[in-house]
Amino acid sequence: MRVPVHFYSYFKDLAGCAQTEEAVADGSTLADLLKQVFQRFPKLAAMERSMLVAVGVDYQPRHHVLKDGDEVSLFPPVQGG
Amino acid sequence: MKRQLTITSQPIDEAVLLRERRVSEGMGAVIYFLGVVRGTEGERNISAIEYEAFQKMVEHQFHLLFDDMEKRWPIESVRLVHRTGVVKVNEPSLWVEVVAPHRGEAFAACQWLIDEMKRVVPIWKKPISS
Repeated sequence: MRVPVHFYSYFKDLAGCAQTEEAVADGSTLADLLKQVFQRFPKLAAMERSMLVAVGVDYQPRHHVLKDGDEVSLFPPVQGG
Repeated sequence: MKRQLTITSQPIDEAVLLRERRVSEGMGAVIYFLGVVRGTEGERNISAIEYEAFQKMVEHQFHLLFDDMEKRWPIESVRLVHRTGVVKVNEPSLWVEVVAPHRGEAFAACQWLIDEMKRVVPIWKKPISS
């Protein structure tokens, strides 16, 4: 299954792009996907603790099981206002 | 509860927003808050802030907050405008209005909404140096 991954704010600078795509096995969790993303974009790994993760338009925990069609977004703490 | 959400790259026009205000006879409190870009970020001077939004998620998360707000307080209406793009110092980036029967719930709901926005709504700031 191929999962689109989008980056926002300064995560785009750390990754050097606004989006990528990762191939993951069926039954993979967000945590599994993040491991792969961090291997490809090591600068993002340092942000793991504060990183917010959404699937579609909802926040999801790291144990969320990915399904076909999911789009994942990774971003730093929000700062509206 | 009536709700109006606007995420826009256009300047916030307070005069228009005030003209469009609707308050029914049972309401006794209208609170509105204007967030303005400060000329400093930490210890350095800035000329503007660039706001980036994950638009679809911003809309969804604001509506979840409005749903929650409606359960907590007897609010008649909420209107919220948030800027995206470059907003210069002294210009407004956020406008929020809450209409409720009494001031206590109007103040509480407005404060809560802004606090929650800063926790869950995916908007980011990038200061632009002067």
